Amino acid sequence: MQKKFPRSYASLEDIFKFTERFFDAENIGEAVRFPVHFVLEELFTNMVKYNPGNSNDIMLDVNRVQQNVTVSLTDFDVDSFDVTLERNVDVESPLKQRKVGGLGLHLIQKMVDSLEYNYSDRESNITFTKGLA
Amino acid sequence: MFQIDFGSDGQIICSGRLDAAQCEKAQSFLDAVDNSRTIDFSQLEYISSAGLGVLLKTQKRLAESEAGLKIVNVNHHIHDVFRYSGFTAIFDIETPNT
Repeated sequence: MQKKFPRSYASLEDIFKFTERFFDAENIGEAVRFPVHFVLEELFTNMVKYNPGNSNDIMLDVNRVQQNVTVSLTDFDVDSFDVTLERNVDVESPLKQRKVGGLGLHLIQKMVDSLEYNYSDRESNITFTKGLA
Repeated sequence: MFQIDFGSDGQIICSGRLDAAQCEKAQSFLDAVDNSRTIDFSQLEYISSAGLGVLLKTQKRLAESEAGLKIVNVNHHIHDVFRYSGFTAIFDIETPNT
């Protein structure tokens, strides 16, 4: 299933409705829905946040390939931003030393089985998979 | 749909999905909280990293006056996110089985 969504946080509701239809059709449970939604939201909102002047819609593609859900996001006419790079995120300091923000890209790497980034001709593509088993 | 309000016992009740589009609503409500409170997550289905930021910002502010949030009835998906984030060390968190 493939669809383009406007570059806005307000698109999240429609994105979740779109993926819920896919999950229902494939009879996929909450154990997969939750992490897929979490990672999808993080990646989509990053695209919104860091390219605010871009008027292109963002392409979402969701598929089942054997025992995996594969999700792909493509952003057009943007600079490169590799979400797979290791982030030095502090999750152990006491409360006073913790900084608000920056957790998302750290968390997504813990919630998916694979995460790939490709950039070519000012087009960013991020693909992740989540196993159904 | 995300909702946040006080319950009859003074607990804060969250329900629905706390995604990036709903964080302003959550932050606006929690900014008005000025003492220790319990938040009931029994009806909260989902939280994003933006929602974690709302909780962390509130906890840091309340800690300045020796107060804090206790989060109860956390489902196991959200608890996993709390664990990966190190929130289990900086919030008082209860799952339904604790």
